[in-house]
Amino acid sequence: MTKSTRQQFADTMLELGKENNDLVVMVGDISHGSLQPFAEACPGRYYNIGILEPTTVSLGAGLSAVGLCPVIHTIAPFLIERSFEQIKLDFCYHDLAGNIVTVGSAFDYSNLGVTHHCYGDFALLKTLQNTEICFPASPVEFDQLFKQSYQNNQLTVYRIAGQSHGVEFKSEDIVFGKAIRVEEGDDITIVATGSQLRTALDAAELLLSKKIKAEVIYVHTIRPLDTELIRTSVEKTKKIVVIEEHMRSGGLGDDILRATYDIQDLMFHSISIPDKFVTSYGTYKQLCEFCGITPEAVIDSTNNWFDG
Amino acid sequence: MITVTNNKILNKDLRRKIVDMVVEGQDGHIPSAFSILDIITFLYRDILKFNAKKPEWLDRDYFILSKGHGCLALYVNLHRHGFITDNDIEMFCKKGGILGEHPDRTKIPGAEASTGSLGHGLGFSVGIALGLKIQGKNNRIIVLLGDGECHEGTVWEAANVARNRRLGNLCAIVDWNQSGMTLMPEDDMPKKWAAFGWNVEIINGHNEEEMAQAFERIEFKNDGIPSVIIANTIKGKGVPFIEGHGKWHHRIPNHEEYKEIMGGLV
Repeated sequence: MTKSTRQQFADTMLELGKENNDLVVMVGDISHGSLQPFAEACPGRYYNIGILEPTTVSLGAGLSAVGLCPVIHTIAPFLIERSFEQIKLDFCYHDLAGNIVTVGSAFDYSNLGVTHHCYGDFALLKTLQNTEICFPASPVEFDQLFKQSYQNNQLTVYRIAGQSHGVEFKSEDIVFGKAIRVEEGDDITIVATGSQLRTALDAAELLLSKKIKAEVIYVHTIRPLDTELIRTSVEKTKKIVVIEEHMRSGGLGDDILRATYDIQDLMFHSISIPDKFVTSYGTYKQLCEFCGITPEAVIDSTNNWFDG
Repeated sequence: MITVTNNKILNKDLRRKIVDMVVEGQDGHIPSAFSILDIITFLYRDILKFNAKKPEWLDRDYFILSKGHGCLALYVNLHRHGFITDNDIEMFCKKGGILGEHPDRTKIPGAEASTGSLGHGLGFSVGIALGLKIQGKNNRIIVLLGDGECHEGTVWEAANVARNRRLGNLCAIVDWNQSGMTLMPEDDMPKKWAAFGWNVEIINGHNEEEMAQAFERIEFKNDGIPSVIIANTIKGKGVPFIEGHGKWHHRIPNHEEYKEIMGGLV
């Protein structure tokens, strides 16, 4: 059975915790079982602290203030949205470093409904200075991104994807802040983040059947964003589709549009979550379809770009 | 409801300095600062370990002013003990200065936290206390909260953690000037903290002898029960016509009022 990205989180904590006596992990009663090896190997540095996310963030900032390296982990809407002011003031305004690892972003907890969805996290976090955002959707991505960035004097947020995109990257392919060109092409650029790399690759295959060669770029680091690779591709193709599990407003698409708006004859389309609550139930895949995040949507939205 | 009966006015010089800063800067919360001035002055003189030349000295005690709008009481003590300069005081609320109406830890030597949004200081302090406990250090952590601030739910989240993690290295002080009770009259502050399992001390926050006795009783053990000092105080203490919850909360004295205030603080 393939390891989940969430299990990799626990494994990476164990590995780093043995090397780094300053690493302290606090969770809100999730991943408690998988973190037991860390708890046993690192006594006094693991806390299943309680159901109190805003204060858990404040506690993490306090740990950071005395030189420890906090890792705070629980479900995205409670850790990012409910605790936003604690992130803003206790970490960012204080200029303190730390790490937040979320699960349950976007609509990963599809049937739990809007209370357990979180698709505005990129937008919120991007309003704060001293923050970095990663969206790892495979174990090697989490492992590499965390190791490369967890001690860089910023607040780094790792949004663990519930679904893997199924692409096997090598560890040396994963460089914090650098996007990856997964497919080369000259006709259109598709940029995807997190699990939606799968959608981008499926869309590229559909486009190829129409003799349209797509360049597929994968973004695992939302902030700082590798605008250079994206601009280089778009200057060539003049056409870009961004696919993401985030609200249209404030997501990756907005950043890419800002980075490319001055390219002459640019055509841009965002495939993302409409700016409203996702009130449907069903599987993760069904909610992607409900939001229009599908390979077919890429084809439909770009059809008229290739007429004639 | 307990009435503070001690009429002695301490720290008149610092009270005058606060009023001058507010008039010069044309901003500030005089009554909130006067409510906690005697406590903070006592802490910096008799309790806290610090090195003003090295504010980040690792063996220092931590003092966090959670009710950030009372910061003038902190500023005059940081000035008295050499953390900040005459010029810093003169530049209060002026462009280019480091002192605003709420403390900023990234600018002010000796300010441990940037507070102002109520309900953050205790959680941050609990994190510091937990961190120092993890590190096996013996620094003490003292955090001062407002009574209105105790309306915030995060105060009680943090209180719950501190007790359950046995953070005996932590002492909270609540400035119980009963301003919060104008909104929520059912406010048995000592009982609330006792219900969260804290060791509770009740004192007159304008009486140094009672403060000293309370601190003698608090053990500051790394593995123990956290303590809270419920300090009965008077908002605006020292100037009868600005005392209490009301229009003086965020008011700048005019010329006549300034003279009257200063006349009472000689």
